[in-house]
Amino acid sequence: MRAFNAELSKLFSLPGIWLAFLIGAFAPAVITALDSIAQKEEIIAGVSTRLSEVGYIGLGLGVQGVIILGVLAVSSEYLTESSESGGGQQITTSLTVVSSRLHFLLAKVGAVTVISILLCIVAIMTTVLATHLILGEYAPAFEWSRLIGAVCYWTFTALLALGITLLTKNGIIPLAVLIINSSVVSFSVLLYRVTKLAFYLPDRAGAEMFMFTSGTFTGSLFDRYHTPFTGGLVMFAWVVVIFIVAAIVFHRRDVAS
Amino acid sequence: MLTINNLVKHRGTGEILSGISFKARPGRVTGFLGPNGAGKSSTLRILLGLDRATSGSALINGKPFAELHNPLATVGAALDGFGAHRMRTGRAHLRWIARAAGLSRSRVEEVLEIVGLTNAAGKRVGSYSLGMGRRLGMAAALLGDPKILILDEPVNGLDPEGIRFIRTFLRERAESGNTVLLSSHLMGELAETVDDVVIIKQGKIVADGTLEEVIGNHSTLEEAYFALTSEYAGDAV
Amino acid sequence: MSVSSSRKISQILGAELDKLVTLPLIWLTLIGTFILNLALAAAFTSVGLQGAAGTQSILNIGLASMGYTQAGFIILGILATCSEYTGGQIRTTLTTIPWRGFQLSAKHLALAIITIPVAFIITASGVLYTFIMMRDTAVVIEIDTMIETLVGATGYLTLTTLLSAAIGALLRRTTPALVVLLGYYFIVSPLARVYLPSIKNYLNYFPDTAGYYMYTPPSSDEINVLSPMQGTGISMLWTIIFITVAIVFYRKRDA
Repeated sequence: MRAFNAELSKLFSLPGIWLAFLIGAFAPAVITALDSIAQKEEIIAGVSTRLSEVGYIGLGLGVQGVIILGVLAVSSEYLTESSESGGGQQITTSLTVVSSRLHFLLAKVGAVTVISILLCIVAIMTTVLATHLILGEYAPAFEWSRLIGAVCYWTFTALLALGITLLTKNGIIPLAVLIINSSVVSFSVLLYRVTKLAFYLPDRAGAEMFMFTSGTFTGSLFDRYHTPFTGGLVMFAWVVVIFIVAAIVFHRRDVAS
Repeated sequence: MLTINNLVKHRGTGEILSGISFKARPGRVTGFLGPNGAGKSSTLRILLGLDRATSGSALINGKPFAELHNPLATVGAALDGFGAHRMRTGRAHLRWIARAAGLSRSRVEEVLEIVGLTNAAGKRVGSYSLGMGRRLGMAAALLGDPKILILDEPVNGLDPEGIRFIRTFLRERAESGNTVLLSSHLMGELAETVDDVVIIKQGKIVADGTLEEVIGNHSTLEEAYFALTSEYAGDAV
Repeated sequence: MSVSSSRKISQILGAELDKLVTLPLIWLTLIGTFILNLALAAAFTSVGLQGAAGTQSILNIGLASMGYTQAGFIILGILATCSEYTGGQIRTTLTTIPWRGFQLSAKHLALAIITIPVAFIITASGVLYTFIMMRDTAVVIEIDTMIETLVGATGYLTLTTLLSAAIGALLRRTTPALVVLLGYYFIVSPLARVYLPSIKNYLNYFPDTAGYYMYTPPSSDEINVLSPMQGTGISMLWTIIFITVAIVFYRKRDA
């Protein structure tokens, strides 16, 4: 528990974390607001085919915030960018304070999970607020099951970011791959056209926890392929596998290398 | 000759330096002392053109650092930290500096030899120990064979051998007419190396003179230092 | 300008080139981008092969990966400038080369010298792969158009790299620079095109959309609002503006 608290205070004292919070809390609402404005007339006329997706698109794309969170949680241990500092790496201090690497890792995972869940709840609140402000009485009702799906999606994404960064020790690659992959031009979109196995990629499978329920985009990528539950399970399996690999590598490698 | 004249530096609302003035003369080793956060590094950074002074001037041979024609051959500087990217090798680090100043690659090998880093030159800077990092910083400072050396905590992290090397090396430099300005916390070490002493406390100069003058009636430099820095704090309250 | 100052400029440029070349991360990025681009070109080609024969443009398919490949060049630009702030290297740089405007300009120039050939090789390899795979099915293209397009693509990637380097120099930290640039290129810009059709005409003047016209071959079914030259001009203007802003800040602030 003490290690967990230490991880929380380490995270909150990072300057970059505020960028993560800002993006995580407000980007979904902004995207949702734009989406709602764009479709307002159709929704009021009752002809919109995407009413059920309003808000969830924002939540799907706004996952950037927790990606930054997951990456920073690890990369900050390894990299110090400052004109003043010498060769100090925080990881050395961290591992002398919490001697068990497994405990250290669990504490980090715990801290990132808790912050991701809270951040997603904030994002859901701002998003719902945005739809109500813009669409008024036409705002769609949000189903609990889908919102829980969104929370899971955010948390798993943050943990994936954390796990990959633990392997690379450098934030650039996980940040680039995950940001691009959570965008509208995701690699999964391309790969889906090459092989159906792309449906088992973590982001595509995970998104089924709360998106693609309408089935209006027939014949496209946005077809439903998994049930929300299996989608979540596939993504969770990815998280677990990456963590097992990362934990083994982290356990075996020298801190300084 | 280094001339610091009425230097003031504000950062945010705080005043880091409040009008300090002193000189570092050729042929002498000048020691720059003070507690952590007193403004030593800020002064050196302004002198090297890294930070901008709010007012006042810090001149090298009468010119600001940025106006020097050949900075590397005029001033050699080693500040705190490695001053090198972790992923580069020590040799590659020195080579780009040499390239920028139009120096030959053989000069790089020479300075590596002088600081005793030849064997580690092919390793990444990230794998260096603190002492090796300091040696790399010294090597970079010596590359242009400058008349003036500005060193921030040069013996920090060095082994006894390295400390002795720095001491004799700096004495030799000064005796052949060069200017050396160094900051340090190690009083005993400093007393054996320096000719002149400048003591700074909370952004103000509290003592400036030859080693004998500053020690005055106190038994050692350390005694004088504590007397001056605590005495001053007493005044300020 | 005297002889000695022109020698000084070539020395500084040489030092900046040395710095880039001896940084392993730069090489990893370039090699990674090359491999990624080929893999994506293969994916796009295999998608293209499923389409109707005789209707595909090799250039369109070969350059379809550009949207992703530019990420590698964004990273390259950011690395070039943000790497100064690792391990306090910036202090060594500025005590060696205290002429800050010169130094940052030389860095951008050195970066361009490295980027141009690499960008050309990377784009050409993608197109070449598509060409080999689709020789029989695709529409024949003229060699002139091909070269013009490849030059345009190289120019676009180079300008993107320089722009990213300028942003990196402004922000000084890799993570925020990466988030800002990738966020703009991959999230904000595509979304703005979908959700803000009312300002679509203005969006053409943003660096990524204007740059898109530099390498998009004119096609019949799509009205190209900007000509390749106009696109180049606008992208170049953006890059120069950002580099200028970066230099102004770089000169003013404490290192």
